[in-house]
Amino acid sequence: MSEKDIMIDAIDVNKEYRRAGAIIRALADVNLKIRSGEFVIIQGPTGCGKSTLLNVLSGLDLPDSGRIIFDGENIARATEDRLSRLRRQKIGFVFQDFNLVNTLTAIENVESVLWPTVLRQKEIENRAIAALRDVDLLDRKDHFPVQMSGGEQQRCAIARAIIHRPRVILADEPSGNLDPQSEKEVMGLLKKINKEMETTILVVTHRDLSSYGDKTINMDNGKITKIK
Amino acid sequence: MWRKAILLSLREKRVFVVFTLIYTTLIFLTSFFIDLGIDGNFGEMAWNFVLIFFGTSLFLSMLYAWILVSRKRRIWATFKCIGYTNKNILSLVSGMIFFTTLVGFFIVIEVLFHYAAIIAYVNQTDLNIALLILVDLVPVVVTSGIFIGVQIVAFILAYRKVLKVRPIIALKKVGE
Repeated sequence: MSEKDIMIDAIDVNKEYRRAGAIIRALADVNLKIRSGEFVIIQGPTGCGKSTLLNVLSGLDLPDSGRIIFDGENIARATEDRLSRLRRQKIGFVFQDFNLVNTLTAIENVESVLWPTVLRQKEIENRAIAALRDVDLLDRKDHFPVQMSGGEQQRCAIARAIIHRPRVILADEPSGNLDPQSEKEVMGLLKKINKEMETTILVVTHRDLSSYGDKTINMDNGKITKIK
Repeated sequence: MWRKAILLSLREKRVFVVFTLIYTTLIFLTSFFIDLGIDGNFGEMAWNFVLIFFGTSLFLSMLYAWILVSRKRRIWATFKCIGYTNKNILSLVSGMIFFTTLVGFFIVIEVLFHYAAIIAYVNQTDLNIALLILVDLVPVVVTSGIFIGVQIVAFILAYRKVLKVRPIIALKKVGE
């Protein structure tokens, strides 16, 4: 594996939390390499450190020690503004609770990623329409989140995650609030995006979704126990 | 971003309507008492009322900023996750506050115009120009200007609160 192929490289990453006076070691000497275009499933029981790993890999949280090389750049000590720019340019987020703005329509939610950019409104709208078409939700573009089912809301959130053509999509329990049929649709959609757009995808889950991934990482007690 | 702030304001119907009505009332009362103070009709009392109303507008702006940031922490956290900087979010929040005041100003002007029109219509035969003007335009413009100036304090408060919103909140499950 050449250095050029590596999208995310976590080196000796440690993270501790203090909760109710006790120190919890969320990540213990984690080393991980994720290649460009890989579909990675990170799974493990609740509290095993998988969400913390996702947070530090995306720059949402800083590790206590160690390095995170994201697309060739060490983000472990980057400024907040630099991290914001990095997320806007290279990362798309998918959340368990969808996190759509209830007062905005589907297309406005998707567009919101590009509001702070210099792009013209027409261009933003065109991109949002393309993203909604990619997730097969164009017919719902003027609907508000409350008017959509859970699966549709998550597809809308995926459209929001891909509108800026990110290098990486980070999904935190993307099917956690969905029924089995919607889970299948959402995971299938992420797989399609991974194949067609060559986007690196990291899915954190407590369920067994290993059948969708190129690589499955099992975690327990803040450590990687198995990579398959 | 300002246009998006207006969009977000208008979609937040309840909060927007309540604060616009309060601002409208405050702008009207403040400019009315400034007008009285300038004319010397109400003595020192008029200026005391003006000071009270400015204080109220300061409190109101800070309350509005607090509501917009605190009640929507999850939205701002999500926006931070998708690449918004603190300044981007502050632009949205301050735009929402500023727009509300501006709408209040236009409603007051509109009401004063209609008042003048109705008085003129009713008293066609005995038209006295002084009767037509309830409050001069200058006090209304000055009041609105000062109200907007006072909002700088609210913007500072909003910025301090926006800084404290950690993007990681967006990843927490509802109720967690």
